[in-house]
Amino acid sequence: MTLSRQDRPEVTAADVEDMTPEQLARLAHDLDDVEVIHNQRKWPVPGTRAEKRAERAVALWFALSALSGLAFVLAFIFWPYEYRSPFEKGYTAYALYTPIIGATFGLAVTAMGVGMVVYVKKFFPDDVSVQQRHDGASDEVARKTVLAQLAEAGQDTTLARRSMIKRSAGAAMGIFGLGLGIAAVAPLVRNPWKGGDQAALWVTPWAPVDGETVYLRRDTGILGEVSLVRPEDLAAGSLETVFPFREEERGDEEALLHAQRASDASVMLIRLRPDLEVLKRSGQEDFNYGDFYAYSKICTHLGCPASLYEQQTSRLLCPCHQSQFLVTQYARPVFGPATRALPQLPIAVNDEGYFVARSDFIEPVGPAFWERRP
Amino acid sequence: MSPTPSPEPAPNGREGWLYQLTGMAPTMTTPSPQKSTMRPRSQLQRRVASAIALGLGLLTAGGLYTAFAPQPQVALAQGDGALIAAGQELFDSHCISCHGPNLQGVQDRGPSLIGVGDAAVYFQVSSGRMPLARQEAQAQRKPPIPQFDPHTEQGQANLDALSAFVQANGGGPTRPPATGVDLRGDNPARGGELFRLNCAGCHNFTGTGIALSSGKAAPTLDPANESQIYTAMLSGPQSMPKFSDRQLTPEEKQDIIAYVKSVTDGNNNPGGNGLGGIGPTAEGVIAFVIGLSVMIGFALWMGARS
Repeated sequence: MTLSRQDRPEVTAADVEDMTPEQLARLAHDLDDVEVIHNQRKWPVPGTRAEKRAERAVALWFALSALSGLAFVLAFIFWPYEYRSPFEKGYTAYALYTPIIGATFGLAVTAMGVGMVVYVKKFFPDDVSVQQRHDGASDEVARKTVLAQLAEAGQDTTLARRSMIKRSAGAAMGIFGLGLGIAAVAPLVRNPWKGGDQAALWVTPWAPVDGETVYLRRDTGILGEVSLVRPEDLAAGSLETVFPFREEERGDEEALLHAQRASDASVMLIRLRPDLEVLKRSGQEDFNYGDFYAYSKICTHLGCPASLYEQQTSRLLCPCHQSQFLVTQYARPVFGPATRALPQLPIAVNDEGYFVARSDFIEPVGPAFWERRP
Repeated sequence: MSPTPSPEPAPNGREGWLYQLTGMAPTMTTPSPQKSTMRPRSQLQRRVASAIALGLGLLTAGGLYTAFAPQPQVALAQGDGALIAAGQELFDSHCISCHGPNLQGVQDRGPSLIGVGDAAVYFQVSSGRMPLARQEAQAQRKPPIPQFDPHTEQGQANLDALSAFVQANGGGPTRPPATGVDLRGDNPARGGELFRLNCAGCHNFTGTGIALSSGKAAPTLDPANESQIYTAMLSGPQSMPKFSDRQLTPEEKQDIIAYVKSVTDGNNNPGGNGLGGIGPTAEGVIAFVIGLSVMIGFALWMGARS
């Protein structure tokens, strides 16, 4: 039978002194209203061979975990981790670095967990206990006394009547909290319209600065190298990704890299085969240079690089949502979710034979936004 | 004929056209009337002088023509004649039904091969794309037919002969002399930059390829050898754009090959298995399916009665 709180056994300090550990443990159960219905030890007879085997099994898992942990530490410190090409000596060791630290770390954690579970399964007694659940609030006495205690504490510390301290402390903590909140939210706030007509949404790095010529430049994979593009560089049916370049940036690696990495600067310079029939967009009839057409690489749907160029069908594909643009018809969308043509960059060839941009794009590149006129 | 009294060449005279042609002063061939003391030249003398003048004029005109005339703009067979003849024989027995007897192409079957060059022939035939199995969205890579298997000596010789024949008809880009490991540049890191900029759009950053429009696809680069990668860039097969040597220099192409070779065909898989090398989707699915199954298995084991 269970004991209710009212008939909890009264135990004095003297009684506890005389109790055995077993009796104390049972008393703990009784005080918590727990009734042990069934408790069967796994190994009633200590020292059997089966028990020893079970013990060794658990210890083996923990030992395995310890060894794996040690192997992980040693591999992490000493294993060669620096890149080796597959054709260099030492590639196999390098290639094994990740699997080895992953496997040893994983085994250490897993073996530790398995050891614990095995220990519980092999040695914890089969035990069924029931604890009574008590509903409702604390009893009347406890509630009253706690409130009285709190009120007394307020009186003792004189906080109850120090409204100046309460208000100033409230202001200090409140404003500090507000600051934390602003710091958390502020990085999410951007103003893309800053700058009016010259806002980042409207212009790209192709916009001339102080009337300086903007050249078309290729990326050679070497930082700081400037390689300008000439019409004879491209074979018919080819595509080259180009970036804006101004003479002022020559030698300035940071500026050159910035022009390459800007999200709206990538332009595809395409040389069509001369036998293709081309439909130009009205008002943009002179944007191309012969068979050379320059389009923004940024998909007008969601801004992925739409640079999968099928030179036989003259289509540009976007890998993200399968939009397709027809280069021979001002890169208008012919398939997929994109609804606007890729913006065309007006290009020309200067006196020295280099491609230059005649101006910035005449429309914003990339996905649509509310203020954009269609 | 009597000597003309005027120093001007006689417009209708027998030597008049000759004076105009050679621009020689008439005094050189006709005696001046002032020097009447000289005996008029005999007919023989005049004839000899005329013949010399005519010869000089023709020589000058011919020399000028040789010096300034443009080179003929016609395709000339060049290279080893026997090789080209062998190539023509191979062409006639394998390619002619779609590309036509004069490489001009056949409507709805195959394009003209004039000007595609040796690079395109090597790429298409050595990779087994040509001869085509059937007309479909694009030519698929398959084991090359035995006559053109680049791994055999005879196949290599046949490839060279066929390439020479097509090259002799209209020229075009040619494959580099180096092959195999020699075509790998020494800067795969730069090759990786260029690959991601120029190639990864279609071939994926580990060269596994991707679907294109209407049944076409960019193929995986795993089975392609160095020469095939190089000639593909040079000739722009099928949907692929061309990358001329002025756009990607030979050194840049070789760096790209070094990068491709270092990441394709099971290379550079630090996890042990690349899971297709197509990015986080495959990895996420594997982690979700296998990882979650293992977790559930553990949970069931822990909860099971012992």
